[in-house]
Amino acid sequence: MSIFDNPIAAKKLISFRKAVMKNDGLIGTKQRGIDINLNNACNLKCRHCFTNSPLNDHITERLSNDTLARISDEAHDQGIFEYDLQGGELLMKPKLLFEALEAIRPERFYLYVTTNGYRLDRDIAKKLKAAKVSRVSVSIDSMEAEVHDDFRGRVGSWQRAIEALEHVKAVGIEPYLNITVGHYNALSDDVENMLKYSKSKGYTTLVNVATPGGLWKNVTEVMVDEQDKEHLLKKRKEYGNVLRNLWNPFDQESEKLLGCNTVNRLYITPLGDVLVCPYVHIKIGNIYENSLKEISEEGFRYKPFHDNSQLCLAGEDRDFVKKYLTNYGTSIFKPELASDIFSQEDMVNPKDLIFKSHNPNFPKVSTI
Amino acid sequence: MSNLDKYKQCFMTSFTIDESAFEKNIEYNSIPAWDSIGHMSLVADLEEVFEISMDIDDIIEFSSYNKGIEILMKYEVSI
Repeated sequence: MSIFDNPIAAKKLISFRKAVMKNDGLIGTKQRGIDINLNNACNLKCRHCFTNSPLNDHITERLSNDTLARISDEAHDQGIFEYDLQGGELLMKPKLLFEALEAIRPERFYLYVTTNGYRLDRDIAKKLKAAKVSRVSVSIDSMEAEVHDDFRGRVGSWQRAIEALEHVKAVGIEPYLNITVGHYNALSDDVENMLKYSKSKGYTTLVNVATPGGLWKNVTEVMVDEQDKEHLLKKRKEYGNVLRNLWNPFDQESEKLLGCNTVNRLYITPLGDVLVCPYVHIKIGNIYENSLKEISEEGFRYKPFHDNSQLCLAGEDRDFVKKYLTNYGTSIFKPELASDIFSQEDMVNPKDLIFKSHNPNFPKVSTI
Repeated sequence: MSNLDKYKQCFMTSFTIDESAFEKNIEYNSIPAWDSIGHMSLVADLEEVFEISMDIDDIIEFSSYNKGIEILMKYEVSI
């Protein structure tokens, strides 16, 4: 994010950084981001889809613009600076996306759109720029077109994704190349080639680890092991442009971890359900019933989300996955309910609760 | 520790530089670590150390070591 393009979001990021530094470099209960699944319809059939789009799961529902406006105001008040709009595939209905962006008022956030890139041409890129989108994340699964296309279920999807990133960069939006890394590919030449490509083009690489949810429900073999994780950390240092939400982005030595971002980064489904993370399919509330602040505070009452975990709960913590996420295999539309699966001993002692979801010094909405 | 020492320490911590870096005026983007994220880390450290909260305009204007000294004067921090 360039501070000069987005000073309001930058101010919030500074606050986040201060909270992290005061908490020994750990994320604590400071809100960071929000991921919104605007609509679950998609034009691809990715094998690892965590939202079950290829099964046409809830593809007609979407959050209304009024609801988006309210959520966004609440998110801003909570100090949330990262705002990720995703699907499904949002560019299947660009008109709806741009109306949503207007309702959200992106100038208050570091807002990005996550896309498969298939429908992202130069014209769309220019419109995203005009709509104040700070970043576009495009998912790539291989540097071999056939492998990517096969994984995504559509011929030509690799070429469109590669071109999409170029369009994004050409119009001055930050391009992120998103890769999913699991035990099946962590040490592969293909991942290395993707990292090299991203670096050579001046992109940032965002690594998401593979998780056993959605179409991969209960497929725990995809989870990274210790060797894979060490390898990723090595690549982080080597390349300098590789990020993971788990990692501390402020650490100049590229070694430290923030910790798992459950509840710090909320995921909202088209039904309004709020999950603790896109990949940990545990529901802590619904935005039609409670405010974002109330839901966040509810989420942090549970020890697995309040206490720091140096493991990604969905992608690395096998004990957590086994205990909470493999009952019948979770999806974003069939999440576990936190109040059902956690017992009293999983609750934080009320006197130990620390909420850092509100900073009264943020610019008030009415003054923007 | 004097305000000057504290000020320099913020730069050294945020950008992993040593005293020799201050021989000339360091500017935003003149060293690899002083990018956007580095800038926000620096501002966060300065706010914490000097117990101030900088206005957005000043955060954006803070483009160099010397400029920063000028800006901090507005917050009654003399370097």
